[in-house]
Amino acid sequence: MASKPGAATSTYSPKIVARTRPPIFKDSDLDWTRPDGRGFHQCRPALLQTGAVSSASGSAYAEFGNTKVIVSVFGPRESKKAMVYSDVGRLNCNVSYTTFASPSAGQGTDHKEYSSMLHKALEGVIMTETFPKTTVDVFALVLESGGSDLPVVISCASLALVDAGIMMYDLITAVSVSCIGKSLMIDPVTEEEGCEDGSFTMTCMPSRYEITQLTITGEWTTPNINEAMQLCLDACSKLGEIMRDCLKQAASASDE
Amino acid sequence: MVGLSIGEQHFVKGGIAQDLRTDGRKRLTYRPIYVETGVIPQANGSARVRIGGTDVIASVKAEIGRPSSLQPDKGKVAVFIDCSPTAEPTFGGRGGEELSSELALALQRCLLGGKSGAGAGINLSSLLIKEGKVCWDLYIDGLVISSDGNLLDALGAAIKAALTNTAIPKVQVSAEVADDEQPEIDISDEEYQQFDTSSVPVIVTLTKVGAHYIVDATTEEESQMSSAVSISVNRVGHICGLTKRGGCGLDPSVILDMISVAKHVSESLMNKLDSEISAAEACEDES
Amino acid sequence: MGLPDSSQDLSSEMEVDAFRKIFPLRFFERHLSESLRPDGRPLGKARDTIVNLGLVSSADGSALAKIGYTTMLAAIRMEVMTPSTDSPDEGCIAVEFHMPPICSPTVRPGRPADAAPVISKRLLDTISSCNMIDLKELCLVSGKAAWMGYLDIYCLDADGALFDAALLSAVAAFSNLQIPVVALNDNGRIVAITGEEKQDNASITEKEAVNKERRKLTLKNIPFSLTCILHKNYILADPTAEEESIMDTLVTVVLDSSDQIVSFNKSGGNALAHTSAIKSCVELAKKRGNELKQILGEMDVD
Repeated sequence: MASKPGAATSTYSPKIVARTRPPIFKDSDLDWTRPDGRGFHQCRPALLQTGAVSSASGSAYAEFGNTKVIVSVFGPRESKKAMVYSDVGRLNCNVSYTTFASPSAGQGTDHKEYSSMLHKALEGVIMTETFPKTTVDVFALVLESGGSDLPVVISCASLALVDAGIMMYDLITAVSVSCIGKSLMIDPVTEEEGCEDGSFTMTCMPSRYEITQLTITGEWTTPNINEAMQLCLDACSKLGEIMRDCLKQAASASDE
Repeated sequence: MVGLSIGEQHFVKGGIAQDLRTDGRKRLTYRPIYVETGVIPQANGSARVRIGGTDVIASVKAEIGRPSSLQPDKGKVAVFIDCSPTAEPTFGGRGGEELSSELALALQRCLLGGKSGAGAGINLSSLLIKEGKVCWDLYIDGLVISSDGNLLDALGAAIKAALTNTAIPKVQVSAEVADDEQPEIDISDEEYQQFDTSSVPVIVTLTKVGAHYIVDATTEEESQMSSAVSISVNRVGHICGLTKRGGCGLDPSVILDMISVAKHVSESLMNKLDSEISAAEACEDES
Repeated sequence: MGLPDSSQDLSSEMEVDAFRKIFPLRFFERHLSESLRPDGRPLGKARDTIVNLGLVSSADGSALAKIGYTTMLAAIRMEVMTPSTDSPDEGCIAVEFHMPPICSPTVRPGRPADAAPVISKRLLDTISSCNMIDLKELCLVSGKAAWMGYLDIYCLDADGALFDAALLSAVAAFSNLQIPVVALNDNGRIVAITGEEKQDNASITEKEAVNKERRKLTLKNIPFSLTCILHKNYILADPTAEEESIMDTLVTVVLDSSDQIVSFNKSGGNALAHTSAIKSCVELAKKRGNELKQILGEMDVD
């Protein structure tokens, strides 16, 4: 027989778990490079594409290094029967992971809070008054987790919302910065996130120059926060331009 | 929910704009804070904090557990918050659950620091008894009894007080055991260890109403807010966590300004809280 | 076909899209009578099919299969288990088919789709009954350790013929699977060894390395499937989600490399299938099998 489903055999992964913490680098140590060879203030190349899922109202695929995400937007469609009348639209967000998203299966960190964090990042930018009584569903699936998952999900979701024709004040872009020792690293990968001293995730509207969400964990000094914020703002406006180009390309392709 | 008439809304907003709030406070003044410790005898540590009409209880329970395989040299801390429907009718059902998990997440962020443990209010390594085998699991439970705004700051203060009040029994571990067996543990009934809470941060929530921001907002004032930023600051003035609520966007410079104001406010709040906590502890010892 | 005159009159006045929504069945029957489908395909033709290998770097083997808009991502993770006493020298394979909420408007988070467990079971039955994989190849140390292959298939876009696409992605993922290099350590656990470690660390001798080099599985017999819709006298190969929702008699034929039937599935529906119709389905499946063989064959060359 090929297999015995239901046989509760316990299995383990023979993969090597790296436990070593990379040494802390001083400010002078500038020639050290990151696991993927980037500079400290360099983001991973972004691959963005709209219209990834045909059955959704709008969708987008984003690939930043090894982080691969699909977001589908459904609606605006009828709210659940149990919902009371509302003269503004509702936003419903969900983020899930594939079982093979991270190499160490079942031991990954908890991502339950990502759904509500995605909701908070998006709620301020969507014109909910344009779809009263209805719900817009934003569902994200992380195909592969390679670090900075939430920022990628948020940026990808904003593309998917545009693709679905949901009215928004501006695009939403998100970037995170890790603080390891004295150095700040933008757009960290999983290895860097695992040993970071602090993390700084910012969601902003690049054209309006406004921050919609900001989350800081770990220990930060004020100069570090200033620097991280400036890094994120620059990266967000650059990412905003990339996203705009992607949308323009999609629009001109559909015109032809 | 508070239903304010348009007149009342203007009154609240106008007062904030003129630096004289409805209860006579200035924008950056806290309501009086009362701290009581040891309110739950069966817990390892507990405290009740009242800030104006907001009333919360925090308790700390320590249990023997096993470190996770990913972090064999650290203990574990879990934060749970319960918003009682008696405090506010909207806390019943899903509304309360959402608020509870949001508060718990924000507190966890403020208390536990980064992945490497930097900036943590509770030193997880100090909870370890034997590497990879035995550690303390701390369960921090917060209960909102009555709500009049500024829940996060009150819970943060209550947890700080409860941790100060916490006594963890000393533990003896039998010396040598085989690699894959659990060692025997002997928990002392008499000797207790105090918890070092000097690095536990305080949380300052700045609520933006109109063009200004205020500390320690009441429910009425919170209903008029556009966004709120909760910043936790430790004794050395480092930021240990930041969470933003409310959908409205904020200009980056406003956020930086808020952070420096929060740092300033946190100093006096920290001192006030420390003296309240030590007074409460002394009071408990006497009784 | 005998269409009522009323709808014919309506159709000349009504916009095509509105007619499609209001009278979906008549809309399709009009097309079928011209031996054509709304997307321009002849009745017996499957949609364009693309297979990509090795997209998921965190898995040991992976593949993306696209049939028309239907997209499936399959990935295999290899873990070590203790084999059961009945078959001490055999590994094991577990299959799970997921329909995350992103794939279709009908799936909501927290409520798994009804179709997902059905397809999981059918995939597992198909893969095990056609002897595609020799489970003895998955053995590491007889009675002590064997590989457990976790095959997870995610539907990224659901537009009909889910089983066909899922099976195709599963087969492609197995062809991409590289079994990692492992060794047996002193505690009787299997540990992974990297290239550098092998050279540096003299303690892992040739004898201890259970699986000396990254190897592929030999796929003995490859199953291919085709789903058809039976409607009146018509047979539609590779239906879209819209076609599946309008006409409900589905027949799935799975053939192996030597055109033997591995499984045949007609799940309910109100039309009864004639023997001749079934024969035609099998014929179509044979043709489709050759197409798919070619697509997978091109992959192997790369």
